[in-house]
Amino acid sequence: MNTIQPRLIKTAQKTRKSLLLLGVAAALVQITPALADGSVESTPIPTPTPTESSVSLRGFGTLGIARSSSDQAEFVRDLSQPQGISNRWSGRIDSMLGVQANWQATPTLELVGQAVSRYHYDRSRDPELMWAFAKWEPDARLSLRAGRIGADFMMLADSRLVNYSFLTVRPSADFFGPLFFSHFDGADASLTLPLGNGLVRGKLFAGITHEKSSGIAGVWDTSGSALNGLVLDYQTGPWQLRASAASIRFSSDIDLAPLPDLLRSAGTSLGIPSAIAAADTLIVKNTTTRFYSIGAVYDDGPLQIQGMLNSIHHQTGVFHNSRAGYLLAGYRMGTVTPFIGVSWWKTHAKSSSTGLPDIAPFDAINQSFDSSMAVSVADQKTYTLGARWNVRQDMAIKLQWDAIRGTAASRFPFANIKPGWNGHTNVLSLSLDFVF
Amino acid sequence: MKAIHTLLLILLILLIPTPGWPATTEDWVLIANPKAGIGRLTQDEVTNIFLGRYRRLASGVTAEPLDQPADSALRARFYRQLVDKSLAEINAYWARLVFSGKTRPPGVASSSEDAMQRVSLHPETLAYIEKSRVDARVVVVFEIVE
Repeated sequence: MNTIQPRLIKTAQKTRKSLLLLGVAAALVQITPALADGSVESTPIPTPTPTESSVSLRGFGTLGIARSSSDQAEFVRDLSQPQGISNRWSGRIDSMLGVQANWQATPTLELVGQAVSRYHYDRSRDPELMWAFAKWEPDARLSLRAGRIGADFMMLADSRLVNYSFLTVRPSADFFGPLFFSHFDGADASLTLPLGNGLVRGKLFAGITHEKSSGIAGVWDTSGSALNGLVLDYQTGPWQLRASAASIRFSSDIDLAPLPDLLRSAGTSLGIPSAIAAADTLIVKNTTTRFYSIGAVYDDGPLQIQGMLNSIHHQTGVFHNSRAGYLLAGYRMGTVTPFIGVSWWKTHAKSSSTGLPDIAPFDAINQSFDSSMAVSVADQKTYTLGARWNVRQDMAIKLQWDAIRGTAASRFPFANIKPGWNGHTNVLSLSLDFVF
Repeated sequence: MKAIHTLLLILLILLIPTPGWPATTEDWVLIANPKAGIGRLTQDEVTNIFLGRYRRLASGVTAEPLDQPADSALRARFYRQLVDKSLAEINAYWARLVFSGKTRPPGVASSSEDAMQRVSLHPETLAYIEKSRVDARVVVVFEIVE
């Protein structure tokens, strides 16, 4: 039997989900009146200094439903989701609620906290502390943040849950899907300077992650992984160009037991070094993964075009190296902005085999090894068509159709794959996004 | 199924006709404190200040932009003329920056008179008001001539 059992549990706690969503909102609203002593935006008098101590409470959320055309695999928004959606309407992947409090303590010091309830690694919508940091801006050029902050791996990566902020129902799953990190505990520093007719911004960040993810084999706790990176950004007129690099050194292995031990003992007893080497390729602990991305945005009045490319390089053999990209264009017509896009995600398999003879009892080990290597293969393109309707200044309705065309081997982007999966599915999504 | 019903209900409530662009023909000007010595600003500089990209003035002071109230026609006209964006688009832009913990949006004045008062009291404050309301307390640092 296959020892790798991807995404095990099967309970969908639906009522609990909605209750929790409401609970978070209620709790946060109750905590804040003590802080919010009337210095919020709407207070007209007395004329405050613009940077006087003030508290604001804001939020964002989405009510979204989606369904796909295949019951052979579940479409997920990103790899942190242990279950996705298939050929029945479901509110699972996109619905979420976030609440944020900002306290401008002094003209140069701001404290920010954000909690989000979304469907995540443990199949619950338990609220998660996304940000909790202090930001110090000694002058308009320099910004220093310390605490729990967003992982700015790629352009827009630290706002990918704020669906109201972008055109599409969700950020490209081909491009952002493999980023299961949202935040880390650490610090970042960014410097903005005028250059030519534009602005150049450089940013450095470093810290330790403490996130869990739905991994290849159940929940994978990556807490304590060291992360660092840099971002370079140039903005001039309607153009924004950006390049970034980040790396993460994993603190823990993915639980693939008993496969690594079986490979080692078989390799040792039969004198087959490639079996021991195969066990080594399954090691994740203390290996480094590097993320590179470049992107360009052209945003001029009604027209928005953005394109990005990424390359992810893994030292471990469990994950295959990958490249992905997307191109998205939208044109505003009144309150409606139709958009069209294409994205792709392709992994490059690291060839490795155990070298063990394909006879009992070793064939079971070989099979288990091959299937654990096959889990992280992605090879697909997605064509996207949709529209965003700005119903009000703080609310948008979006309708989107994604046609995913991949090979049968493209399994990494999906959950709960059944035999017969051919890599093709269409996803229809409807969402209501709001901010408050 | 429950999710669909909730969403459909909300959709129905929302299917109330919505205005496109709030109409106003009033011209606006960007005003500053006469003592601040800001001089004239370019459209790019004003855009950078109001979109929170770069708020450092030539004097080294950090500019503090002030918006008109959220539903005001002047606010819609200001962003329409400055960057050709609707207020919904400007809100989406700020949602990205605010909820990723980056820049703060402009403060909000309760009225043009409130904006004038704040500008006259604070040299770092910049605000847009109806051109016809300008008086000796403030100076014009930018306007769009069409």
